[in-house]
Amino acid sequence: MARKKPSRPEPAHAPLPFWRRNRGEVTFLVLFLALLGAGFTLISLNWVNDHLIEPFTGGIARTSGAALNLLGQHVSMQGTVIRNARFAVNIRNGCNGVEAMLIFLSAVLAFPSPWVSRAVGLALGIVAIQAVNLVRVVALFLTGVYFPKLFATSHTVIWQTLVILFAVLLWLFWAHRFATRREPA
Amino acid sequence: MTGRPGSRRRRGKAEADRSWTGLLIRNTVLWLAPVTLIWLLLTPLYNRFLLESAQRLLNLTESPAVTDLAPAGGDGHDAFIARRDFTPVRRRVHSFRVTDLHFHFLLLGALFLGVPRIGWRQRLANLGLACVASVCFDVVLLFFYVKFIYATQLGAWSLAHYGPFARNFYGLGKHLLDLPFKLALPLVLWSAFYLPRLLQESGRAASVAS
Repeated sequence: MARKKPSRPEPAHAPLPFWRRNRGEVTFLVLFLALLGAGFTLISLNWVNDHLIEPFTGGIARTSGAALNLLGQHVSMQGTVIRNARFAVNIRNGCNGVEAMLIFLSAVLAFPSPWVSRAVGLALGIVAIQAVNLVRVVALFLTGVYFPKLFATSHTVIWQTLVILFAVLLWLFWAHRFATRREPA
Repeated sequence: MTGRPGSRRRRGKAEADRSWTGLLIRNTVLWLAPVTLIWLLLTPLYNRFLLESAQRLLNLTESPAVTDLAPAGGDGHDAFIARRDFTPVRRRVHSFRVTDLHFHFLLLGALFLGVPRIGWRQRLANLGLACVASVCFDVVLLFFYVKFIYATQLGAWSLAHYGPFARNFYGLGKHLLDLPFKLALPLVLWSAFYLPRLLQESGRAASVAS
């Protein structure tokens, strides 16, 4: 007759392992960083850059140029370059809003929410970020024309921060308003 | 100057009725200007610290240690990379703006200070930890920046001293650190501290909606 092995008494409240305690945060962060890294690696490939990013940036240049012409700047566009008699800008990666869009997209996809909410967030977010980016390009061009000494700081520090801040706040708003997880009753 | 107790109570109730996320968004926007001012004041000091730290890290990977990172110009925003093993004419290999490397602190400060319904001690402790992580990130970013210059921007010298793998490694590393991860760092650090609260608020909004 086999003797029953005495089982080790389980503590009443065994602490959960780190992974289970912070599953939500860890999953979000890992997914977010993976999506972000994959997205940026993808757009750094020459083929993707030449066939997707450059034409997209050209579209931004044409839209911004049209807006500047409405403001009486008499600009001409050539590829990703906008110029008039006093100033010229070449819209490159970092100024086309793609970075902010990828950060927003990664955060929306990594956040636990239904796919319909994600689709709504992505559609509205991309349009809103590009609208803010249009304001950035127009404002930067006008800064270059009228306050050229402020252009460098405005280009890198001010507008970069404002566009990313907008993307982050938009994500927070989306997470609160649209990313609702309805629990079964 | 103190307001009347009635109006203060009303204001407190209105604050309590507003959603946590709404307050966070409003506070973050409001904190941006003070944080920018503090960042501008501390930038010259921080730039010097960053150059010193990154130089030490670079020197650890060199034999003999030949890299110098030194401030350029009087405003404390610019710096140059110099190599002591190059001839005096070619010694300064690259100039760059150090301040452009760490403007993510603006977003970080505003996001962490804007968190509502949390004690100041906890808020500042979390911000302090996030700043430590950001400083480490900046040192690594500057390290990759210098290595990227060495590996890809010095023509024949780069080709002679760095192979294809190293050029791609430092190129991709600098690209990823300087754009996506630098820009996303404040959100990543904020999420590490406050995501449970956001998930909780999101769940609460769902239950109210249903």
